[in-house]
Amino acid sequence: MNCNCAEKLKQKLEPFLKNYTEGSLIPILQKAQEVYGWLPDDVLEHIARKTGVKPAKIIGVVSFYTQFRTKPVGKNLILLCQGTACHVNGSAEIERVIRDILKTEEGGITEDGKFTYNNVACLGCCSLAPAMMIGARTFGKLTRESVVEILNEY
Amino acid sequence: MNIKVGMGSCGIAAGAGDIFYNLEKAGLKPAPVGCNGMCNLEPIVEIDGKMYTQVTDIDEILNGTKLPLETKQNQSRIALRNCGNINPENIDEYIGSGGYAPLNLTPEEIIGQLKVSGLSGRGGAGFPTWFKWQAARDSAGDKKYVICNADEGDPGAFMDRAILEGDPHTVLEGMIIAAYAIGADEGIIYVRAEYPLAIKRLETAIEQARERSYLGDKFDIKIKAGAGAFVCGEETALIASLEGERGMPRLKPPFPAQKGFWGKPSNINNVETYANIPWIIQNSGMAANTKVFALTGKIVKGGLAEVPMGCTIREVVYDVGGGITGGKEFKAVQMGGPSGGCIPASLQDTPITYEALAATGAIMGSGGMVVMDESSCMVDMARFFLDFTCKESCGKCVHCRIGNRRLLEILERICDGNGRENDIDLLEELSEEIKAGSLCALGQTAPNPVLTTLKYFKNEYEDHIKNKKCPAKCCKPLLTFSIDLTKCKKCSLCVKRCAADAIDDFTIINEKCTKCGICADVCKFEAVNVT
Amino acid sequence: MIKLIINNHKINAEPGKTILQITQENNIEIPTLCHDERVEIFGSCGICAVEIAGSPRLFRACSTPAADGMVIFTDTERVRRNRRSVLELLLSDHTGDCVAPCVLACPAETDCQGYVKLIADGDYEGARKFIMETNPFPASIGRVCPHPCEEECRRTLVEEPVSIAALKAFAGDFTPIGFAAPPPEEEGSVAVIGGGPGGLSAAYFLRLKGHSVTVYEAMPEMGGMLRYGIPEYRLPKAILQKEIDAVERMGVNFINNKKVSLDDIKGDYDAVIIAVGAWVSSSMRCKGEELGNVIGGIDFLREPPIISGKIVAVVGGGNTAMDTCRTAVRLGAERVYNIYRRTRAEMPAEKIEIDEAEEEGVIFKFLANPLEISENSIRLRIMELGEPDKSGRRTPVETDKEETLAVDFVISAIGQKLNPGGFESIELTNWGTIIADSETFCTNVQGVFAIGDAVNDGAGIAITAIGHAKKAAEAVHGFLAGCGVSGTPQNYLAKTKKTPEDFIGEPKQNRAKMPHRCASERRGDFKEINLGFTEETAQKEATRCLGCGCADFHECKLIRYANQYDVKPEKYEGLISKKTENSPIPNVLQTPEKCILCGLCVRLCEEEIKAGVLGFVGRGFGTQVKPAGDLTPCVSCGKCAEICPTGALTAINN
Repeated sequence: MNCNCAEKLKQKLEPFLKNYTEGSLIPILQKAQEVYGWLPDDVLEHIARKTGVKPAKIIGVVSFYTQFRTKPVGKNLILLCQGTACHVNGSAEIERVIRDILKTEEGGITEDGKFTYNNVACLGCCSLAPAMMIGARTFGKLTRESVVEILNEY
Repeated sequence: MNIKVGMGSCGIAAGAGDIFYNLEKAGLKPAPVGCNGMCNLEPIVEIDGKMYTQVTDIDEILNGTKLPLETKQNQSRIALRNCGNINPENIDEYIGSGGYAPLNLTPEEIIGQLKVSGLSGRGGAGFPTWFKWQAARDSAGDKKYVICNADEGDPGAFMDRAILEGDPHTVLEGMIIAAYAIGADEGIIYVRAEYPLAIKRLETAIEQARERSYLGDKFDIKIKAGAGAFVCGEETALIASLEGERGMPRLKPPFPAQKGFWGKPSNINNVETYANIPWIIQNSGMAANTKVFALTGKIVKGGLAEVPMGCTIREVVYDVGGGITGGKEFKAVQMGGPSGGCIPASLQDTPITYEALAATGAIMGSGGMVVMDESSCMVDMARFFLDFTCKESCGKCVHCRIGNRRLLEILERICDGNGRENDIDLLEELSEEIKAGSLCALGQTAPNPVLTTLKYFKNEYEDHIKNKKCPAKCCKPLLTFSIDLTKCKKCSLCVKRCAADAIDDFTIINEKCTKCGICADVCKFEAVNVT
Repeated sequence: MIKLIINNHKINAEPGKTILQITQENNIEIPTLCHDERVEIFGSCGICAVEIAGSPRLFRACSTPAADGMVIFTDTERVRRNRRSVLELLLSDHTGDCVAPCVLACPAETDCQGYVKLIADGDYEGARKFIMETNPFPASIGRVCPHPCEEECRRTLVEEPVSIAALKAFAGDFTPIGFAAPPPEEEGSVAVIGGGPGGLSAAYFLRLKGHSVTVYEAMPEMGGMLRYGIPEYRLPKAILQKEIDAVERMGVNFINNKKVSLDDIKGDYDAVIIAVGAWVSSSMRCKGEELGNVIGGIDFLREPPIISGKIVAVVGGGNTAMDTCRTAVRLGAERVYNIYRRTRAEMPAEKIEIDEAEEEGVIFKFLANPLEISENSIRLRIMELGEPDKSGRRTPVETDKEETLAVDFVISAIGQKLNPGGFESIELTNWGTIIADSETFCTNVQGVFAIGDAVNDGAGIAITAIGHAKKAAEAVHGFLAGCGVSGTPQNYLAKTKKTPEDFIGEPKQNRAKMPHRCASERRGDFKEINLGFTEETAQKEATRCLGCGCADFHECKLIRYANQYDVKPEKYEGLISKKTENSPIPNVLQTPEKCILCGLCVRLCEEEIKAGVLGFVGRGFGTQVKPAGDLTPCVSCGKCAEICPTGALTAINN
């Protein structure tokens, strides 16, 4: 997928691309995702051209790490923890409720473009299980009711 | 007034940010500190040594209407010694607590003290730390690296995050000592991107350490954020990732101490291991005989617990953790995450040592300890971990890529009520081959959750397969919901909440029931039977 | 030098080598799928596992450096078990057809895909030679074979099957028959009783192996059923004779007109193959069967009476019945009935035979069964269809209705049986056929083998007898060489099931029509009906082949090891990883479903070719090898296909 983004976004990446050294592909991709919110094909091609890293390698790295997204995401990214403590405390049911409300599958964007939800292995907030993050905010001890309230706030 | 507010991720998630802001607004000078381990009681405010828990209103603690906690938790803290006590964003507090003391030892003496202390890697494998340092020191090379593995990925473990957020300088100091001991001039901390607060505090700490010249020309440290791959906790995969590659484990030998990052000798330890180093050196090689556990699950006082090696599981669960929530029966603990296993309550007097835990089939691991009660299904637990391993397998080895996938599929069909007669044999047989055939620890240990649950809870597997029943009432396809009309008061709460419209005249229509369990959850009269 | 003990043998080796390198130097086979000397060690497949004394673990031979004093075991039960699990897991996530369904359907395992491809490439001589590795009669069998191959042809899922049999006839006709000089006759002597397709083929295969062979034939000419049971208009005698002559030219000794018993000749030869066929027509079990106007179908075809202007009724629904009907038409019968107890849909004869018979004026009487025959009539019981039987065909059930037809001759063509006279010492089945091992074709008498219509299930089709002949020849060869009789083991083969949905993108291209003479013209003579394909038609038809069988079957390491390790992948049957379509690699056919992620292509492309076109995409179970599209120029070296251990990447020959 291409983003057809404006040139000025590409310029934001320039200083990082200029300072490319062997091995710094992942930080560059992280930066690019920070700028664009995801990693469009044309941006990856741009990175390949500027750094000389082979496209096969870039695609290989992007598709290996879960942090990298090759599709755009909703305005708010929900990371639903599926760690052990959350699993034991009912994260599967929370996921079901989220899916019912958002009416979208994992990784998809809601119709209003507000949300994307992703399951993540562990947020490291096990004592708050079940937990989720929306943007930089963490919500713990989720229940069917509290999830509805939280999502309504956005 | 000396005010500390617990500002770890757990505290912030529980609302510590607002408390902190309100205290400042009230003209006070609160200090942010890291997690003190009592995550279940967050937000926590400490005023002149008195600890107030689950604070919602600052007036209550300031005017004395809320009483402070009477006793602290029963722990002995080395790695977590400063967490919750000092402001992690202030290097002076770290120095004040004895940190960055001048080093008057030769590299050989440092390694010797480590050997005396018996410190072993806290990341899971338990390999003697001195041995790795010695090997890296002995490897010829003009360039060597010290790497900190902060890619804490075990679901159910968060001790490294707490240390990085609560006491980042101890990790830096541990690495500085390591660099001196092996002769390295460059350090890298590979930290999960999911830990933004830890990264921020590390950045601050590195900046401060540079200002004081603890870091600089001779040895400097930079941070690299991981990009989301559990397998990068494996040291060769971590190196591949640092080099900008897919995090696929490489063959050993050569070991990283011989040929590591960019082919140079590299020493890799995890956060908790480094956090122990300054204390050991300050105490002249005294044994750092503790282990930090992340105590979670069906436990009253969940959080971080640093306990002495050799104490029993029972002591951790009951004395530190306060027992099982809701007065239910203690069934098992899961230790070591996806590489570990389930230890049944009948073995709760097992002492926590590397050897004793290994004898049960579980492992010490990085320290996740998930407590389970009678409502946790052991087949489901095994399935959960295999699901995790399959998602995190890098895909290189056949046994891990396809074998673990097949294990998962067998477990899934057992949980769905489609288990076959010889599935238990097949699980055991395949598990053995996966353990023998996988290249890295992720694959080699992935069958452990299956093997330990089979060892201690085979009857649960048989119930699923032969009787199509889940004794823990956890596997939904095997459950039947019904309403006991002698108990039902016809309040209609269940009817209102049933999303599937499956309750008609206070009878559950099985064909429509999605087995979500909400009827049983909301019923105030325990009139919904689950069988 | 370091000293090692491998499988209890002392071995000296240079230091610094891996266990795999040392075993390879010492001709100890350790399997490997992901290792090649041209690229860096990767260690993904794990199949090179070995045991080292003193360690409970298994070690990868490809990456473990040998050390002085090491005691290594490369073939223990534990090692074999682990390797087997690697293969079973790989195969559980590997989809493909090692061999095309047409080949599997052929009783002689003819490599149809192979010769069809050669025809498509214009190599007709090559095609004929290739066919003759399994069948010495391409022109004859191509004309008469009911071609079970075409039943299974996947092209049917697009529109119609490839005309496999007609292409075989084309290859047989198109090029002159030439044989490689036969090897010297020094390997023991064999007698074959019966000169039909089975017997002659057995002689041919044995002769190729260097044995001296004599064929005894009771009839005046060689050819058996191909000569006496198949009418001229389907298989001209001249074409058959040309192919028989070629067998004789190889140095096979033909003795015609000589009916022999086993005892007559057994003492004169080292081995005997009985291939006498089934020449006795089965009984209709109705009254009047013994009358003079009742003739067996096979007897009628061999020696027809004068029937010009007479009314003939042929009983039976198989190909022999159709041959009989159509021969009767050509011999001038006034009217020819075919009487069959089920309906057209259940008829075992080929559809084209039925259609052509009808075109030629044969009158079909379905759902009718003979009750009684008299000198000028046949009384029939009218039947109806009941429940399906074991074979799935609906069983005919009697009604109370009858019908009587005025007829002069009744020909019974409902099947043939063996005449066991002369083979008294040979054990028979309850239904009167010779008992022969299904792999070696041994009988109960040592040194005596039996094949074709005479054995086991009884009368079948010619290509089945030819298939028997090849296997029996192998067994006889082994017997004569003194290494005992052993059959070819049943090997594991990867297979898939396909549906029309799998071929939605395949452009439709209709099956070539066989040009033939029109009914009004052909019913008056015995000249061949089919005119054969032109070169142009044949080549175009051959390009319709979908090439279902794996192009790398014979080079595939995965299938070779799978059979060495006796795999049972079914137990790990599960989800198959989804593959997405790849962008093209010049001159390389990609079949990602067959990829085992050994990474050889990726590493070779990056390390040796330095092109870096290929890479791993995704992780875990869903990992796939993909070329980076047109972003990176491929140097078209084709090395990736060459190094691929399976059929995931194969070279396209232009």
